[in-house]
Amino acid sequence: MGLFQLDSYVLLLSGNDCLTFIDGLSTNKVTGTCTTVFTDQNAKIIDMVDVITVGPNIALVGHAGFKENLVSHLISKILQQDVTIRDITLNNKVYLSTEECSLSEGVTVVETFRGWLVVASNATQLQPTMTLEEFNDYRVEHLIPHQGYEITSNNHPLACGLGHLVHEAKGCYIGQEILARMRSRGRQGKELVRLENPVENPTTSGKTHSLAIVRTSN
Amino acid sequence: MDCGTCDSGPAIVINAPQVVQVELTMTQKATEMLEDAFGDDRSHALLVGVLSGGCSGYMYDLQIVENTDIDCQELEINGFRVLVPNASSHLLNGIEIDYVDRLMGGGFKINNPNASSSCGCGESFS
Repeated sequence: MGLFQLDSYVLLLSGNDCLTFIDGLSTNKVTGTCTTVFTDQNAKIIDMVDVITVGPNIALVGHAGFKENLVSHLISKILQQDVTIRDITLNNKVYLSTEECSLSEGVTVVETFRGWLVVASNATQLQPTMTLEEFNDYRVEHLIPHQGYEITSNNHPLACGLGHLVHEAKGCYIGQEILARMRSRGRQGKELVRLENPVENPTTSGKTHSLAIVRTSN
Repeated sequence: MDCGTCDSGPAIVINAPQVVQVELTMTQKATEMLEDAFGDDRSHALLVGVLSGGCSGYMYDLQIVENTDIDCQELEINGFRVLVPNASSHLLNGIEIDYVDRLMGGGFKINNPNASSSCGCGESFS
């Protein structure tokens, strides 16, 4: 099993409206634990987050470098809804496991398309077993995008391998019109691909293959 | 995940926007449609609010209510009680409530001078 420590934030949302609030602002249908993407009006990514239900609350786990933009995006949208946001990043460490791992006290594990996301309290000692290079090789092998590499504010979700997180039938959210138009016309502009080295302008370099975002032929 | 301390941990401060004393207008057509909806009963009020969501980030929320727990300012427009939540007053000051009589896409419409853009259906703005 490979365990890599992610550079993540953890926000805890509480209040009666927290699920509908997140659902109304992101690309996936959010009814419970899932992964979704927040986009801006140009359908560019603010952050991809894992949503984890924690009792009556929900936790959002995203990339630390994108926290400030996401928090400012969220708080500007709270008007009369019952939503409170707490930053519990310092209480927890976040890992990605390449295989299913067992639960222990103080550890929350959810399966995601990237692997098993592990959120552990600081009291729980977990030892990472993967280096960044090994983690990147794992991602290249499985065509998994990551924040700061493929998932950036320059890309929309369809271009960086997150099309499966863009729900086809849900209602409006910020950026939805652009993404729906791209889909309906079959023109997403760019796509994430895995290519054998050497690769020109790779987004993630691996030992034998690399990830790159290239223009689609249509 | 450590959530045992969540309740005692600090919430991220949401700098509530300044409450604005809202002025709004209502077109003749919208007034007529509200007269149809309310009849002679003026005990109810029209709640004009804003929720997050929609293609542009904010969505209008129109409701006929008797009372509400939401912190609101109360206006009287063309003989109707109109409630505007203070939390969204900065987004609603100066709006015109209109009614568009169309088979498709008709109904109450908000003309909002604060909106920099709105989505095609007119229900969402930013």
